[in-house]
Amino acid sequence: MTFSLTRRSIIQLIGTLPFIGAAQAGAGWAAIETEAKGQTVYFNAWAGSPQVNAFIAWAGGELNARHGITLEHVKLADTAEAVRRVRDEVKAGAKGSADLIWINGENFRVMKQERLLFGPFAEDLPNFALVDVEGKPTTRIDFAEATEGLEAPWGMAQLTFFGDGTALKAPPLSMAELLDLARNMPGRIAYPAPPDFHGTTFVKQALVETMEDRALLPTSIDKAGFTTAAQPLFAFLDALHPHLWREGKQFPQSQAQLKQMLADGELVMALTFNPNEPANLVASGELPKTTIAWQHRSGTIGNTHFVAIPVNAQAAAAAQVTANFLLSPEAQARKADLAVWGDPTVLDMAKLKPEDKALFTGGDAPGAVRFPARTIPEPHGSWVPLIEAAWLDRYGA
Amino acid sequence: MARPLRRLNALTGAAPLILLWAVPLLLSLAALLPSLGDGKALARLLAHPQLGSALALSLFTGLAATALALAATLLILAGTGATRVMRIMAAAGVALPHLAFAIGFGFLIMPSGLLARVFVGGETPPGWITVQDPWGLALIVALAIKEVPFLLTAAFGILSRKEAAGLLAQQARAARSLGHGEGSAFLRVLMPQLLAELRWPLLIVFVYGATVVDMALVLGPTQPPTVAVVIWHALNDADPQENQMGLQATLLLTLLLGLAIALLSAGLGALRKPYRTFLTAGPSALAAPRRSARLMSILIGTITLAALLLLLVLSLSQRWPYPALSPVFGAAAWETLAAAPAPLVLSLVLALTTAATATALGLLWFETQNPAHDRWVTGLALLSLALPQLAIAGGQYRVFLGLGLTGSLAGLFLAHLAPVAAYVLIVLQGPYRAFDARYAMVARGLSASPARTFLRVKLPLLKAPVLTAFAIGFAVSIVQFVPAQLIAGGRYSTLPIEAVTLSSGGSRALTAAYALALAVPPLLVFMGTSLLGRPRWR
Repeated sequence: MTFSLTRRSIIQLIGTLPFIGAAQAGAGWAAIETEAKGQTVYFNAWAGSPQVNAFIAWAGGELNARHGITLEHVKLADTAEAVRRVRDEVKAGAKGSADLIWINGENFRVMKQERLLFGPFAEDLPNFALVDVEGKPTTRIDFAEATEGLEAPWGMAQLTFFGDGTALKAPPLSMAELLDLARNMPGRIAYPAPPDFHGTTFVKQALVETMEDRALLPTSIDKAGFTTAAQPLFAFLDALHPHLWREGKQFPQSQAQLKQMLADGELVMALTFNPNEPANLVASGELPKTTIAWQHRSGTIGNTHFVAIPVNAQAAAAAQVTANFLLSPEAQARKADLAVWGDPTVLDMAKLKPEDKALFTGGDAPGAVRFPARTIPEPHGSWVPLIEAAWLDRYGA
Repeated sequence: MARPLRRLNALTGAAPLILLWAVPLLLSLAALLPSLGDGKALARLLAHPQLGSALALSLFTGLAATALALAATLLILAGTGATRVMRIMAAAGVALPHLAFAIGFGFLIMPSGLLARVFVGGETPPGWITVQDPWGLALIVALAIKEVPFLLTAAFGILSRKEAAGLLAQQARAARSLGHGEGSAFLRVLMPQLLAELRWPLLIVFVYGATVVDMALVLGPTQPPTVAVVIWHALNDADPQENQMGLQATLLLTLLLGLAIALLSAGLGALRKPYRTFLTAGPSALAAPRRSARLMSILIGTITLAALLLLLVLSLSQRWPYPALSPVFGAAAWETLAAAPAPLVLSLVLALTTAATATALGLLWFETQNPAHDRWVTGLALLSLALPQLAIAGGQYRVFLGLGLTGSLAGLFLAHLAPVAAYVLIVLQGPYRAFDARYAMVARGLSASPARTFLRVKLPLLKAPVLTAFAIGFAVSIVQFVPAQLIAGGRYSTLPIEAVTLSSGGSRALTAAYALALAVPPLLVFMGTSLLGRPRWR
């Protein structure tokens, strides 16, 4: 691929040179905003939640009013759709159809490795200065993969469990307690079958809680090392499965099904990656007001979700302005509002002006997390395929 | 007519179908060829721990569902005729999308479903293994129930072909005068001829059942799932190695289906001799199974109607915890749907235009071509339907991407036209070629022009099959998901794209509302065409 110096990339280059100073960077941003005016951003984003879709629609209205940008929400069932589309377009030399992608984890790693991403741009966004990069290190390390400015943080996620408080007086605050609960309520607990994302996360959480040497987790691992390290994990799962729904011989397909089975009363608990989803489901009437949510005492796996710009984007300038707007205190506060979406912010409250801080109303709502715990970073990416393959081998057929 | 003119006619009559349908389809198939020799992906597939059991499960569910559907269809045909009510019920059953039926049916039989609430009750749902059972029985039963209307419609079409109908009635009368009971006459005279003609519809049912994804996701097991679900996950992965493995699995599945069909027809051939002994065993007084046929139609009709009604209730419920008999109602799902009407409009426009175009292209072909050439187009149509849709859609996407047709309305139109034209050609060919040529000859003899003969004589007489073909084309178009999503490239959204993306969050109300929105337009079109298609002189 040849590298062509466009006006935009020169501006960016200047913006990243530290000795030129903030004035030029500001001028660079102004040029990006000027270029963005009148552009249409095709924002490829998972659309399985009416609340998320409504938030994106609101952001579109604001971007149009403030920056003259048209935001089109390209609704996805699975982010990998957009990854494949960009890859195919780049390979075929066709015009890009996506300008901004809601992304993290494996999808980001694949796009970064295959050089399908525009940038680095994220850390040059004016609002990036407000991001809590120290307190929330996952805003720069996505599933153990350095973001290197190729994606801009958007929201926080952390493995959270939820269920009906009338059926669960004392929710299990560890995997060991979960095993006890499963023994007492046989057939009423389940997790989605890996490689479903939520299912894999549940197994990762069990790995973290059963493993002897956690120092291994952030490092690359081979098959032999994994087999030794994961022995306690599979001993735990072997003990747990006979007490699960269908005696652990069948598993729900997805987190969506798990949630539905909880709402129907077939299961007593479910899990999610958005700590505020339970409160949200109570607000929309899909779960009763007696719903409770919790995290494990010693912490649960958490990560950050981001927005990235494909290398063949037609409106990269407007996409950057959009990413910056999504990082603004106003948009972040609205997104964190339990009545809107309830997605936790990536910003550092200490870096905000008092009037911006006041936008974050917080507050308690039925279904909000009752026992919040610390975030455990995702294990190194090399663990995931090994976990999924070993799980499928043992329990898949 | 002068010879060169006829040749020109034949050329202009064939060109649109070839250019708009056959060429893109052949290019799409050709685009799949490079994947054939991918040894690395094949090795990855063969190492997949679920491969063997998933393949076995797919073949079993496909075969069992086809056999059950065929048995029920034959029972109904033996016991009741093609009455008007039966015709309309069958047409409605065909129009109902598979996914819509699966969701309603699932909620009927699952442990926290309606039957358990009514007949079991208690604080917590019973430990029934009614959905996601390891043998795929729920999937088999649902597929069988859903395919009976399709097989019935195909059989009614065969029976109603003018001379075929007369001939069959004569033969049945002859058999009865030879001392056969009505049941015996059906088994020994009608059924063998019917089965021979039903082989293509049966093939489509089998391939569909062995490759279906959406129904398997709702009702099928997970450990292992059917191979179609394994393929679907692999093709949806971000990792290109997984995508390649999925493609190899698709090719392997296709190969195995072909093998199964070949073995099956060889097996049936070996049965011919004992069957002939049975056929010529002489008359028996076996009566028509009227009561069981009626019971079977009522059972299938009731389950289908219950599934449809449950879908409506689910679309209107916020939540419905066990063991309550009625849900907490809410209209949020329908509000979401009403807030974004553009995908519905686009889907309706695409369905109307592709169904109309496919019908016109088909008529143009049949009117201008030598009947001996029909097998080229119907053969291609059958091939395109017998190959897994996921694979063809992938090939089509590569071709359209290269031509710059992705993300365009023209690309979307052609992507929808491909399966629509295939169905329309197959449905139209039989009745069109069975048309009694003497009517046209009389008209020409009265010095009507070919165009006038076609419009004033042939078309009115063929109104019913032409309208049926249009309705089937419409129903096929409106549920297209995989090709639509690939070709739309994020620039356009159709109703199925909207339905699948919004359902990915797992809101059952939203899924049910969209499934109903997908079911209603084809139901209306089928009802409309079955009313319009009534012969005027009766």
